[in-house]
Amino acid sequence: MYIEAKGLVKQYGKRMILNNIDVSIQAHEIIAIIGPNGAGKSTMLEMLIGLQKPSSGTIWHWDTAYKGKIGVQLQAVPFFPGLSAMENLLLFASFYKKSISKEEAMKCLRICGIHDAAHTEAAKLSGGQQKRLAIAVAIIHEPTLLFLDEPTAALDPRNRQDIHNLMLELQQQGKTIVFTSHDMDEVHQLATRVLVIDQGKIIAAGEPAELCNKYDAASLTQLYMKLTREDECYA
Amino acid sequence: MLKVQMRSMLVTSLRDKITLFYSLLLPIVLMFGLAIFFDNPEQQLHIICGVTAISTVFWGMQGIAFQVHWQRSRGVYKLLMLTPMPLMQFIAVMIVARTVIGVAMNWSIWLIGMLSFGMKLTAWSIGLTQLIIMIGTICFTSIGFVIANAARNEAQINMLSNLLQMPMIFMSSAFYSLDGAPAWVAFIGKLLPFEHYTNLISTMQSAGSSISILSLIVLVLYIMIAILIASITFRWDTNQLMLKSSTA
Repeated sequence: MYIEAKGLVKQYGKRMILNNIDVSIQAHEIIAIIGPNGAGKSTMLEMLIGLQKPSSGTIWHWDTAYKGKIGVQLQAVPFFPGLSAMENLLLFASFYKKSISKEEAMKCLRICGIHDAAHTEAAKLSGGQQKRLAIAVAIIHEPTLLFLDEPTAALDPRNRQDIHNLMLELQQQGKTIVFTSHDMDEVHQLATRVLVIDQGKIIAAGEPAELCNKYDAASLTQLYMKLTREDECYA
Repeated sequence: MLKVQMRSMLVTSLRDKITLFYSLLLPIVLMFGLAIFFDNPEQQLHIICGVTAISTVFWGMQGIAFQVHWQRSRGVYKLLMLTPMPLMQFIAVMIVARTVIGVAMNWSIWLIGMLSFGMKLTAWSIGLTQLIIMIGTICFTSIGFVIANAARNEAQINMLSNLLQMPMIFMSSAFYSLDGAPAWVAFIGKLLPFEHYTNLISTMQSAGSSISILSLIVLVLYIMIAILIASITFRWDTNQLMLKSSTA
C-alpha cells in the first residue's frame, strides 16, 4: 500500500470541503476520482500528496521521503517562460536532485510523444503537447506513484487517446496512477477503481463494472447522474 | 544541479523581452534623449547615474514581482513543494541569476553613457559602480518580492510598484536638485532607498570621493527589512491567504 487516509476532514470556517474521507491507494492501481465541480476532488488530491493539511484525520505514506517519489501533473501548466520543452524538463529533473543527460530527457519526451517539439518553447506548445510535457515532468524522476489532475481536460480525441495509451503504458511499467476526470468514457477505459465524491464525501467506491451493477446503471455516466446532485457545489 | 538551475534562470530572464525593453532599451533611449537635451557635462553625469538607477529599480522591483507572481499562479511553487529541493534554495538561485543580469545590464547602461558623453572613467569608479549596482539590485529585488507577495494579480503588481517607484523617483535628486523643494519632500526622499542609491552612484564618479556610509547603511537596512517581510509573507500558492473563501 502506498497511501492510507482515515477520517480526513477539511474545513474552512463553517464550510466543509471534505467530510470524513477514508481512502487507500494500493500498488499498480489506476484510481479515478470523479465528481461535480467543487466536490472536493482537487482538495483531496492535494491532501494525499501533502500540499494541504487536513483539519483532522490522518494520512499515512509508505515512505517518509515520499515527496521525491511521487509525480504530479497539476491543472495549471507550470513551465518556465522562454525555456524549451527540453530545458524545462532538465530544470525540473534538477529539482528532484536528478542529473540527467539530454539523451535521457529526450527519451522521456519520446515516451510522452513530444520529442518532435523538444526544442520548441514550452509556452508555444499546443494544449495537447503541454499536457504531455506536464506528464513528462511528472515522470522524469521515475516516480512510483503518479497524480494527474484532469490530464485530458480540453484535449481533442486524438490527444486524449494518446494520453490514455501513455497512462496504460505507465501502469504496465509498474506505476500507480491516481487521476481526476469528468470524462466517464475515459474513466471506464482506464480506471481499475473509481471514487465518486460529492459534497466532500465519498459516496461510492469500487471497480467500474462492480459500481454499475451495484447501482443498476448501464454506464458510468448513468451512475454519475444517479449519484451526484444536479447543481454544482461551490464549497 | 545548481548549474542547470542557474543557467535556466539566466535564460528565462534574458528571454523576457518586455522586462529587457523596460530595463535596458528604454533607459538607454531615455539617457540619450535627456543627455543630448542637457548638454552641460555635470547635468549629463547626473542623468547617466539617474537613468542607471531607474533601470535598476525597474529590473529589480517589477521584474522579480512579475516573475514570482507568474511562477506562483502557474503552480511552480506547488510542484517545488513536492520535490526534495527547498523552495528557498530555488528563490535564492533566482535572485542570484537576476542580480547577475541586473548588474551586467545596468553597468552596461552606465558604461555606455559614460563613454558616449566623454566622462572620465577610473578603475575606482568602474569597479565600485559594479558593487553599488549589485547592492542596489539586491535591494530593489527584495522589495519586488514583498510586492509579489502582497499583490493578487498583475494589475496589483503594477499598481503597488508604481505606488512605491513614483514617489521614490520624484522625491529624489536623481534628475534635478531638491534644493528648492519643500523640506518635507527632501525629508521623505531621504527615507527612501532610491535617493541613497543614486547618491552612491553619483558621488563615486568624482575622483577621490568617499562612499556615503549612511547611504550604504540605508540600502542594507532596506535589504534586511524587505527580505524579512518577504520571507514572512511568502505564499507558495496564489490562494494561500484566501483559502477561507476558496472553492475546493
